[in-house]
Amino acid sequence: MVRNLVAAALIVAALVLQVGLVNRVSPRIGPDLVLLVVLSLAALRGGAVPGAVIGFCGGLAYDLLPPSDHALGQWALVMCVLGYLAGRAGGQLPLLVVALCAVVAPGLASGIGALLGDPGVTWSVLRSAWPKVAVCNLLLAPVVLWVVRAVQPRRRARGSEFVTGYGRGTA
Amino acid sequence: MRDTRRARLVIGVLLAAALILITVDHRAANGTLLAPVRDVASSVFGRVEGATATVTGPITGFFKTISNAPGAERAITALRKENAQLKSDLDAQRLNRDRVMKLDRMLGLAGLGRYRIVPAQVVARRASPGFEDAVEIDIGTGDGVRTDMTVLSGEGLVGRVVHAGPSTSTVVLLTDPGLAAGARMEGGNELGVVNGLGEAGGNDNLIKFRMLDSSSPVQVGRRIVSFGSQGSAPYVPGVPIGVIERVDTTPGELTRTAYARPFADFSSIDVVGVVTEAPKRDPRDSVLPPVPKPPASRQAKPAERTPALRPPVAGPAETSQAETRTSDQQPAVAGPDVNTGQSEPPRSGHEPRGETRPAATPAPERAAPGQPGQEAVDQRRQDRGA
Repeated sequence: MVRNLVAAALIVAALVLQVGLVNRVSPRIGPDLVLLVVLSLAALRGGAVPGAVIGFCGGLAYDLLPPSDHALGQWALVMCVLGYLAGRAGGQLPLLVVALCAVVAPGLASGIGALLGDPGVTWSVLRSAWPKVAVCNLLLAPVVLWVVRAVQPRRRARGSEFVTGYGRGTA
Repeated sequence: MRDTRRARLVIGVLLAAALILITVDHRAANGTLLAPVRDVASSVFGRVEGATATVTGPITGFFKTISNAPGAERAITALRKENAQLKSDLDAQRLNRDRVMKLDRMLGLAGLGRYRIVPAQVVARRASPGFEDAVEIDIGTGDGVRTDMTVLSGEGLVGRVVHAGPSTSTVVLLTDPGLAAGARMEGGNELGVVNGLGEAGGNDNLIKFRMLDSSSPVQVGRRIVSFGSQGSAPYVPGVPIGVIERVDTTPGELTRTAYARPFADFSSIDVVGVVTEAPKRDPRDSVLPPVPKPPASRQAKPAERTPALRPPVAGPAETSQAETRTSDQQPAVAGPDVNTGQSEPPRSGHEPRGETRPAATPAPERAAPGQPGQEAVDQRRQDRGA
């Protein structure tokens, strides 16, 4: 319960920071905090289903976040898939997994935008924007992962049964 | 001590001297008589006192510090707090001044075009490359904002409202690739469509301007204003959009593409205004900012300007020219109607007019004729060559 609340608080903080600070200060180029936090949470939680649930919820919140002009669910889809992958593979090397997903994510999101007929997604835009966002994400991934790990409550005390209980509840 | 005679005498003399001094000093009203004495004494003693103070100052200060320590600590804390408070106030004031300036400019622009606006502050922004470029403003339906209203800043068009909530609204910016707005070249009737380029617009946030008529000439440096939509939603007419910066010349294409640099600064949007009521009549080009002053080194060549200063032709002639406009016609009518500029808003301009306008417009706010005209002429040559 506490872990879920902490995760929700982290995601909300990332959302607000993303649109209130990161994008306002540098609209052209900047890391995607929401993506990184969601991926870190999924990777640290461990387990495919919790990862996917975290990804979906985070993505949906990202879609609903006020200044938005895209189809609802775009980010929910992207983050659900990536959260699933991160949760599944993130047990041993969370940083590697988070970094990989953070690099893949902008391309995936743009791909879905292109499928939906978004007029802004073209190859040239993708070529110029993807590397920038990916590099920003890569640079910030360790920091976000460290913060998320530091903020999360220790699970040593009640350990695995808590996780399985959560998994059963959400599955 | 025994009182001897001598002692008594000395005391008596001294007392007498003191009395005399008192009398003299008291009598001489402003101490003129004894002033030199006082001066000497004060200079000597003053110096000594000063020297002593420098020696003993630290010592007395030390004791004072010790005795005052608790109070001083409190005073320092209080002063520090006050200082911090003042500093933050000063920063806030500086910020406020910036905002006031922006607001002022915006109100000026709104007044020029007779738009009725509601000012707003940007509270959040989302810019995902390729997807969207949108901001959230702090006014909503409660302040009269509705969906599909024009949003402008002190410099020019910013975008339009796509969603109006109760207390905040979402505005899609002009740089969003999904946004398209009807636009018109300044001083003419050439129409086109402005599209955001998003990430592809580069650091200058360039936007794409597609001319519907591929034969109409486009020059670098000409300005575009919004054409206005039916019923003034989502775009009201006459809002400055940008300056054409680059022209793509692709022969044989149906439309002609130019790239314009928007007037509004999209890298830092702060204060914007939502147009809640469109002007009664199209303000045409009157909202455009004055033409920037050319650098002194590239001043006007008089020879280039003189043909443009011919007297204006009458209105009907203009109309017919506009109707039968082709690109071949432009050299022939390059000059005549320049002076009709600002005085006749509802005229039907056409491109030769606008083409030479910067070079010759006598209107006072278009200070600095000359250099833009020079550029325009050069560009025209390029255009024709291509």
